[in-house]
Amino acid sequence: MTAATPAVQRPPRPKRSLAVPAGLLGAILITLWAASEQFGIGFDIAAILEDLSKGSLILTEVLQPNFAFFPRTIEPMIETIQMAIIAATIGCAIALPAGFLASRVTAPGRISLAVTRSILNVIRALPDLLYAMVFVTALSIGPLAGILALIFFNIGVGAKLLSETVDAVDRGPIEAADAAGSTHVQMVRTGVFPQVLPNYVAFSLYVFELNIRASTVIGIVGAGGIGNTLNAQMGFFNFNNVGLIILELFILVFVIELISIQLRRRLT
Amino acid sequence: MTATTAAQVAARPTPPSHVKRDIAILATLAIIAWAFLTIDVRLDRLIDLPERLWSLFQRMFLPPDWSYIEVALPAMVASIQMAWIGTLIGAVLSLPLGFFGAKNISSGPVSNAVRVFLNAIRAFPEVVLAVVVFVPIAGLGPVAGALAIGIHSIGTLGKLTAEAIESIDSGPVEAARATGAPTLAVQRWGVLPQVLPEIVAFWLYRFEINLRAAAVLGIVGAGGIGAVLSNTLSYRRFDKAGLAIIVVVIATILIDQISGYVRRRIIEGSDRKAIQAEVFGEPGPDRAGR
Repeated sequence: MTAATPAVQRPPRPKRSLAVPAGLLGAILITLWAASEQFGIGFDIAAILEDLSKGSLILTEVLQPNFAFFPRTIEPMIETIQMAIIAATIGCAIALPAGFLASRVTAPGRISLAVTRSILNVIRALPDLLYAMVFVTALSIGPLAGILALIFFNIGVGAKLLSETVDAVDRGPIEAADAAGSTHVQMVRTGVFPQVLPNYVAFSLYVFELNIRASTVIGIVGAGGIGNTLNAQMGFFNFNNVGLIILELFILVFVIELISIQLRRRLT
Repeated sequence: MTATTAAQVAARPTPPSHVKRDIAILATLAIIAWAFLTIDVRLDRLIDLPERLWSLFQRMFLPPDWSYIEVALPAMVASIQMAWIGTLIGAVLSLPLGFFGAKNISSGPVSNAVRVFLNAIRAFPEVVLAVVVFVPIAGLGPVAGALAIGIHSIGTLGKLTAEAIESIDSGPVEAARATGAPTLAVQRWGVLPQVLPEIVAFWLYRFEINLRAAAVLGIVGAGGIGAVLSNTLSYRRFDKAGLAIIVVVIATILIDQISGYVRRRIIEGSDRKAIQAEVFGEPGPDRAGR
């Protein structure tokens, strides 16, 4: 039979990979474990759906912002912007050398690469709020604690983004710089830095935007800015005022996003 | 010889103007200077900061209260579970929204409306969502945290899903249509297989981000490791807080490594794509050539 029709010779079917069903099964098991009453957080959809209407109680107040509160938000809002600018400037300035040290392409040696990466992993593993709590404990409440917390947060994010970009640069200019007999620093300066500069500026803008978003969280533990005001208003159950603050933050982030999209378009 | 050189010199284009760039740099510097000079900060506190931090460090880690691991570890596990359930909620709800938000799948007005909705969700920080909406629904505890994380995640995940769908190859979609497949089948066989690896990688990346958010939510009553950190620090039990910090660092790095490994198995170079999507709001430019 096969000899009669030699023209149709199908390639063998690829072997079915077990990775996908195994991954799916693993995900389902983790979900059941995490949602269970006994071992997990006790996630009960029926109960949530039953109480869903309670969610609208406060939400309706938040969606009716109290514009009379606006004058009292101006000063903390400016403080938030200042904190975000200062932290982004210092954080990204530190993230620049840290990012080069943490990339395989530009690290001067294996040991320094491993050490920088480990330090950055630890810095990134701690949530922004924890930095805020620690600095508030060390310095008492106020914007200084918030700025320091944001700086650490920014070093983690900025260095990670930069090192990933440096990993993917075109190797040509590096080889050219090496061939011309440049030192390591000269090679980084002339072969790599110009390639990643537009991205670096874009990351800095992104980090600034993240800082504005993070300000709500930072302020909850007393580290200054609009988050302080937000937290106080939530504590007083003044949810109309909370609504106004959220609206202001939304507009602020939206405007910053528009500006940075424009700037990034010109850069890249 | 001299003639050609002169001609070459004459033909040389004038160097491009740097005025705009210089103005932009000056403006940026001016804004930074304004922020530094006008902020109301007590800089004298900075002088003894290293000393204070060192003493705090000593009280936290030299040595930490190792016995406290009985409390910190289960709390960390609860935070991880909160992040996982939250990410799952975000993933399940964002997938259909991503289809409705993609311009090549749904109609213009629908996709615009969905985009606006996704952006509005992103404006509500998790902490505010938890306090305002989900603690009243689910009470204090990790369930409220998981719901807050889930709803907040819809914003980013929906946007990324929509953008991934917009950059698909239209061939399989047309092929499915040509066979007379109904709309839902076209999505299932023409669209989903193309975008699913990328979307699953985004979900995992979001899980890593949500793990950090879960720690934050503890201080507004969502339980988990955040509650432990907040309590130990406010009662100044620094050796216990130190141990909790160690648990957070080790657990987070471990999960980042596992999740990152799985993501790289799913799509090559997913770290860069995820970051690209996060920063520039679009899956990496290298997709365009596909």
